[in-house]
Amino acid sequence: MKTIIFIVLASIGLAFSLSGAVGILRMPDLYSRIQCSSKTVTMGALPALVALVVGEGIDSSYASRALLVAVLLLVVNPAASHALARAAYKAGVPMWQGAVRDEVVERKEQQKAKERARRPDDGGGEG
Amino acid sequence: MSTSLYGVIALVETAIGLLLVARLAIGPTISDRIVALNTLSTQATLAVLFFAAFADRAIYLDVALWLASFSYLGAIVWARYLERGLL
Repeated sequence: MKTIIFIVLASIGLAFSLSGAVGILRMPDLYSRIQCSSKTVTMGALPALVALVVGEGIDSSYASRALLVAVLLLVVNPAASHALARAAYKAGVPMWQGAVRDEVVERKEQQKAKERARRPDDGGGEG
Repeated sequence: MSTSLYGVIALVETAIGLLLVARLAIGPTISDRIVALNTLSTQATLAVLFFAAFADRAIYLDVALWLASFSYLGAIVWARYLERGLL
């Protein structure tokens, strides 16, 4: 029974890790690759770590270290992905040709249009 | 639990890491390489953990813990460098 649970969890983890790695290799865009990378951690690494806990038993020294690594990955990986995506956008890494929308540019244009509409009123009020 | 199963899983994780090494080699921008390196460090952590269970040496677990914590620190430092141009 323990072996069956171990094999199921480990194969889920390995399958998601493999698909994430193939996605990082094949995706056309940096931002899609970042998304694949975070899927690799949440669905690929966590089931494998839980499988190690199941295989070795919860009271072994492997289980404590594996759970510690799991918590660490869960906390730090989204922060690192977010920081990387933000830094890449600010550094001007291009999006894919077929990307549908870029909400940051849209928001900036809206703000610019709003300021342009407001500025003549302010000038007239002061003058 | 047969320990050879742990060794098989560690080998498969290493083989998945080889795919990421390809992206690390051909990545067009530096950000692609950072993403590949980040994922590669996660796979290396898993491989070390399963190899520790395979070889039955609990001292290797600390290596995996170190790798998991410091690789993300490295990714955040790289992101900061890309964003502001200084470390």
